[in-house]
Amino acid sequence: MLNQLTQYLQSTVTPGQAGSMLWATIYILVIFAGISLCVVFINWGERKALAHFQIRLGPMRVGPHGLLQPIADALKLLLKEDTIPANADKVVFWVAPFIVTTAAFVVYLVVPFGPQHAVTDMNIGILFMLGVSSLGVLGIITAGWASNSHYPLLGSLRSSAQMVSYEVAMGLAVISAILMTSFTPGSGSGTLSMIGIVEAQKAQGVWFLFKFFPLGLVAFVVFAIAMIAETNRAPFDLPEAESELVAGFHTEYSGFRWSLFMLGEYAAMIAVSSIAVTLWLGGWMRPFPNLLSGTNWDTIFSLVPGAFFLFLSAVTLYSTARMPKKLTFRIQTVGLGAFGLLLGAVGLVMLVPGVRERVQDIFWFMLKVAVFMYLYIWYRATWPRYRFDQLMRVGWKVLLPLSLGVLIVTGVVGLSPELMTWLKGVL
Amino acid sequence: MTTTAKLDLNEDKTFLDSTELILNMGPQHPSTHGVLRVILKLDGEKVLGAECVIGYLHRGVEKIGENRTYVQFGPYVDRMDYVAAVSNGLGYCETVEKLINVEAPPRAQHIRVILTELNRITSHQVWLGTHALDIGAMTPVFYCFRDREEILKIFEKYCGARLTTHAFRIGGCQWETYEGFEKEVLSFCDFFEPKIDEYEQLLTTNRIWVERTKGVGVISGADCIMLGVTGPVLRGSNVKWDLRKAKPYSGYEKFDFEIPTGPNGDTYDRYVVRIQEMRQSVRIIRQAVANMPAGPIMAKVPKILKPPAGEVYHSIEAPKGELGYYIVSDGSLQPYRVRVRPPSFVNLQALDQMVRGRLIADVVAIIGTIDIVLGEVDR
Amino acid sequence: MALAPIFRKIFLVDLIKGLSLTFRYQDPKEIYTEQYPLERPQVAERYRGLPRLKMNPETGKTLCIACDLCAKACPENLITVESERDPVTKRKVLTKYTFDLSRCMFCGLCEESCSTDAIELTPDYEVAQYSRDGMVLDQKRLEEGPDRKEYKR
Repeated sequence: MLNQLTQYLQSTVTPGQAGSMLWATIYILVIFAGISLCVVFINWGERKALAHFQIRLGPMRVGPHGLLQPIADALKLLLKEDTIPANADKVVFWVAPFIVTTAAFVVYLVVPFGPQHAVTDMNIGILFMLGVSSLGVLGIITAGWASNSHYPLLGSLRSSAQMVSYEVAMGLAVISAILMTSFTPGSGSGTLSMIGIVEAQKAQGVWFLFKFFPLGLVAFVVFAIAMIAETNRAPFDLPEAESELVAGFHTEYSGFRWSLFMLGEYAAMIAVSSIAVTLWLGGWMRPFPNLLSGTNWDTIFSLVPGAFFLFLSAVTLYSTARMPKKLTFRIQTVGLGAFGLLLGAVGLVMLVPGVRERVQDIFWFMLKVAVFMYLYIWYRATWPRYRFDQLMRVGWKVLLPLSLGVLIVTGVVGLSPELMTWLKGVL
Repeated sequence: MTTTAKLDLNEDKTFLDSTELILNMGPQHPSTHGVLRVILKLDGEKVLGAECVIGYLHRGVEKIGENRTYVQFGPYVDRMDYVAAVSNGLGYCETVEKLINVEAPPRAQHIRVILTELNRITSHQVWLGTHALDIGAMTPVFYCFRDREEILKIFEKYCGARLTTHAFRIGGCQWETYEGFEKEVLSFCDFFEPKIDEYEQLLTTNRIWVERTKGVGVISGADCIMLGVTGPVLRGSNVKWDLRKAKPYSGYEKFDFEIPTGPNGDTYDRYVVRIQEMRQSVRIIRQAVANMPAGPIMAKVPKILKPPAGEVYHSIEAPKGELGYYIVSDGSLQPYRVRVRPPSFVNLQALDQMVRGRLIADVVAIIGTIDIVLGEVDR
Repeated sequence: MALAPIFRKIFLVDLIKGLSLTFRYQDPKEIYTEQYPLERPQVAERYRGLPRLKMNPETGKTLCIACDLCAKACPENLITVESERDPVTKRKVLTKYTFDLSRCMFCGLCEESCSTDAIELTPDYEVAQYSRDGMVLDQKRLEEGPDRKEYKR
């Protein structure tokens, strides 16, 4: 048993490939727990960031700067009465949130947090991801239907139409990125494997975002727009548009079931962001792995995660010192200080030589995903919501032709050396 | 929620066009601005018709007026359109002044104009914030309320209340301006003009905002006049009608300002009109402060107000449209009949015509653009 | 010339303009929230809040002469004034004064009508209570002001 545990640590591939069922299970558990925790704190972060965009403070009461607010919310949701409307289809009503959550979490099987840090490396990874993540819409449709109420019905119908339309543009944008993997010099064939895609970016020495500039960028922008629509976030949050449909498909849900929807939504947000990161932003790779290569640079960059956490700790401790010196703020000040020290301890652990090499991949990946999370919140704070027909128009008349065009042009540009030789032969 | 059109299989209709959805929007709904209930007849998302059910906030203000003396009724009118309480008070005071044939002294008129125009700005700010929130932009509402706070502080310092101000009395004003009033108002004007640019930066050119508002809820000027719609909704439909110019009251003829109008009568035009009105209000306030006359603030009004028997109608340009008061006096201490012509109530009647054939999302936008306050609709 | 709008449309200038504004407002200095029970706002001098009956500071006697004007001015008829005539001085003496706070709308008509400035609406704005009991203020409570528990957190 112990042998099995330690044996894998020497390996450089994912547990799925190494055939270590034990480690695969551990990874699944860690990812599930980690993503759930992330969702909880993204929820806090969203409320806080949104508040700051809107010149408010956000949660301030539960814990220092509301840090314990997500825990309080979770407790409240678990203890709340879980009502099922009298005329609802009870079984379907019960199943719907689980479909959404499951679909959102199964995706993480293939998300590569690092060259070893994925449950497994499927050779159809990206296909699996797109396929499973789009199952979430099934949960939304059933939720809206089973509620037997008008607002949820309208919300779920909007949602299904929206997700189906945007999946097309999204898929085409993804294909153009996958096409780029086949242009690796010396390999000649592309890959659908998530890890393979990142390795291809490494081999080609460029993030696909900058490949064939601006083609990669356009494909990325198309994907970035479509993924917002896929996850039902502003400005495409029509299925749950609170000013029109009260709460959309989950109007009739409460308590634990409602929190499953939230969990599923945020987990899906992280999932699609990690697709974007993997396909265009170099996945787990640190910035400039080719330009600034060499062991010295490797050491410097491996110190960054620890330094980042130490910096966060310093910021927290600084704001602890800046807390009002009133008696009423005593508990908050102490709590914030303790949180700062905790962050500092995490930072120090990340600086230990054995740990830092294994952790840095995850750090860079999560940092890139965090940027996407911030963008999600930023968009939500700034823009109004599209109307249904306009949403469809943007999806079908703007994004679809754009992504199709990008796909074709990518193919042409990528094959241009061969085309040139062929043309020369013909002439 | 009930589906009235039961599916009848024998009926000679296809499945798709035989189901109409009856959707009860409100009275508890995030964007009906209070307790408005709209019964929508839907074909999918398309609205076939809308019917407003009002009265959930009915408090019988007119009846209360018949059981109070003229002075005592003053605070109640503030509670009709509670986001524009000062305008309501101005309308009532001017009506009673007309009834007893008294005119407020010039200084009182200037104070009234300043406060009413400030109130017009607050009303438009609340409108802008909630309207943007209805269309999905969460942030403008907070910026608007932050800037509105500065005006409310001026109100609080002048008359001791922020919302239901009860600022004016019959015959003039109760209070002399506090020390530094002019300076504060002027500094607010300087502070506020860049803020309007900020609101515009968030919305005016934003493609989503433009798409959501252009061509939505179109109503022609002729239809507006037929339905009795007034205020920015009328002006958005290219009808240059503003009671401040058409029938000047409270010395508005002394001020130089423009009436903004919009060409198409859609939601975007009404948005532009109201934004422009905020700028014009700032302009009026600047003039009123600069030419503030000295003198008394209260005309000679008997302590016990017993107007002669008769009737009077007087209307002012409230932020939402023509706010009229019709008072019948039988020569006693209390009015025989008080009737209020609230702009929101009349403007709301245009809803059905504006939402027909639009989508549900537009219903929300159109309710927002009419700018109703349910306290005033139901009274 | 006509290219400029197209350029702006393609490069999402309108959307970025909005984003830049909200980004700027993230500065913690811009936060406008008042953390109410911890920071209590200073309201204006003329603020119309909790009513108070004033006393002559030298004699400690009430300024109210029981003229009943405030009760007559009140639109809600929530003030009751009872008095009896002093047999010696032949003046009205206040025996009972109640003010029903639960119906008050703080219009300020009572303080305007008062001929001796006895009743006054003070800048005390914390008048919310958990029950209606004790909302009818008698003369003693109007003179002394409320005994209020200060919540620290």
